[in-house]
Amino acid sequence: MDYVLLLQRIFDALFNSAIYSSLALALVIIFRATGLLNFAQGEMATFSGYIAFVFLVGPQPRLKGGGLAGLIPGVPLSVPLAVMGAVVAGMAVGAATEKVLIRPLRNAPELSLVNVSIGLLLVINSLMAQWWGTGPRVFPALFPTGAGQNFDIFGARLRYSTIGVWALLFVVLICLIFLLKRTRIGLAFRAVSINQTNSELVGIPVGRILMYGWALAAGFGALAACISANSVLLEPSMMLRVLVYAFAAATLGGLDSPKGALVGGVIVGLSQTLIPAYVPFIGFELSVLPVLIAMTVVLLVRPAGLYGTKRIERV
Amino acid sequence: MSDDVFDEVGLVAKNLHASYGAVEVLRGLDFEVAQGKVSVILGANGAGKTTTLRAICNMCNSSGDVSLGGVDISRLGTAEIVRKGVAHVPQGRGTFPELSVTDNLLVGAYVRKDKEINDDVDRWFEIFPVLAERREQLAGSLSGGEQQMLAVSRALMSRPKLLLLDEPSLGLAPLIIEDLFTRFTNLNKETGLTMLVVEQNANLALDMADVGYVIESGEITLSGPADQLKSDPAVQEAYLGA
Repeated sequence: MDYVLLLQRIFDALFNSAIYSSLALALVIIFRATGLLNFAQGEMATFSGYIAFVFLVGPQPRLKGGGLAGLIPGVPLSVPLAVMGAVVAGMAVGAATEKVLIRPLRNAPELSLVNVSIGLLLVINSLMAQWWGTGPRVFPALFPTGAGQNFDIFGARLRYSTIGVWALLFVVLICLIFLLKRTRIGLAFRAVSINQTNSELVGIPVGRILMYGWALAAGFGALAACISANSVLLEPSMMLRVLVYAFAAATLGGLDSPKGALVGGVIVGLSQTLIPAYVPFIGFELSVLPVLIAMTVVLLVRPAGLYGTKRIERV
Repeated sequence: MSDDVFDEVGLVAKNLHASYGAVEVLRGLDFEVAQGKVSVILGANGAGKTTTLRAICNMCNSSGDVSLGGVDISRLGTAEIVRKGVAHVPQGRGTFPELSVTDNLLVGAYVRKDKEINDDVDRWFEIFPVLAERREQLAGSLSGGEQQMLAVSRALMSRPKLLLLDEPSLGLAPLIIEDLFTRFTNLNKETGLTMLVVEQNANLALDMADVGYVIESGEITLSGPADQLKSDPAVQEAYLGA
């Protein structure tokens, strides 16, 4: 076996893993705060990706929103500022979605809300196609990706961008865990996700907490889009496939565990790359199969996922 | 000591109605809990006891006037009512099974912003040492009695003016019930906490209470000082097994 090639494949897979992990984190946050699976998470993320793009290029003829962005001093922005701008704008979109679309339906069955999120997926997708066209756009890399910008480890290339993206994710994850475990609002998030009625009985403004949850998740989604838009190219459906993998990653890691989302993303990324490479009858066209097998095996052994909270009830 | 110390207004409910869909569950209740006192509402299953507490907290479709310390709270949302000083230990106890014991106490103090929250957590651990032993355990793993202790401590972490208790004796062993009610009585005597308790266990509840009400089918059929109710033949027959 060619071990250098194996190592190279692992390094390459880790970049995709980062993309899956970041969107899985967004899914986990919404699930944790609201108990809802948001199928529109990927499209909301892509929308933020376009906002970042508009911030990057500024006013241009026939670029929707370009003129509007041009009113903001400093546009066109540098890459880090454009990403931050997209995260903030994404959070605003997330909060507005909760307030306008989800909150009025708070007494509806959960399945209806899931259907609403699927509808939202389609609406945002079409809206992006109408505003910005379906053609792919070139989006800059957040970290250097050029030739030679990598570490050489036993003959395999570990790109700076892979390290950079993972460093970014770890920082963000640590902030998130701190927020959830060590702050008053984090405690409110956890309480609301367990029981909304009891949360109101301790004086938590449940509606507002849910809105913050949506904003936070959309912020992570925006980050996920900005991480992936360079390698998959920015186009309205770029997150559709990613969303499937991110769902697998989140389920595998445990739907309510941020750490699980990260580990799940790594497992999904690795099994998607390595299994087709070494198992002859699974071609790369079938790369989704090993992901689903990995997910099923984990769920058979641990129904709540690797790090998910088991629901407990003592009778 | 002047009389008005005893007459300070606590909770006053007037003409309280509530319904679930077309079914009217409360048909105009009038009752009160004087500041620093304990009132108890007795009733059989389905009489409307739980709904009465839910109506006070605006957790169901209700109408009528409810005021706390002279302030009208009947138009406020549940979370706002909690902020005004009402703590509610509902049926099912209102704890968060997937949070640790400590986090349950901390979330109980959500409406507070002062610096003494951690001191209060320690105080409850002193009062209920069994909770201190399990402080890092998830609340869902506690026994019924321990959960009820946690539920009451959780409610009192908000430093409320009024504590609502929904059948605290439900599902607990007789010895544990007696212990709990002794603690409730002490809480009232030592801290002057105003309490409204709904119960089926009339004996213990009337021992602790100053005033009692009996509800049947959503209407108050009897009311008066607790010791009088205790010797009332109708109450004795229905609730005390005399």
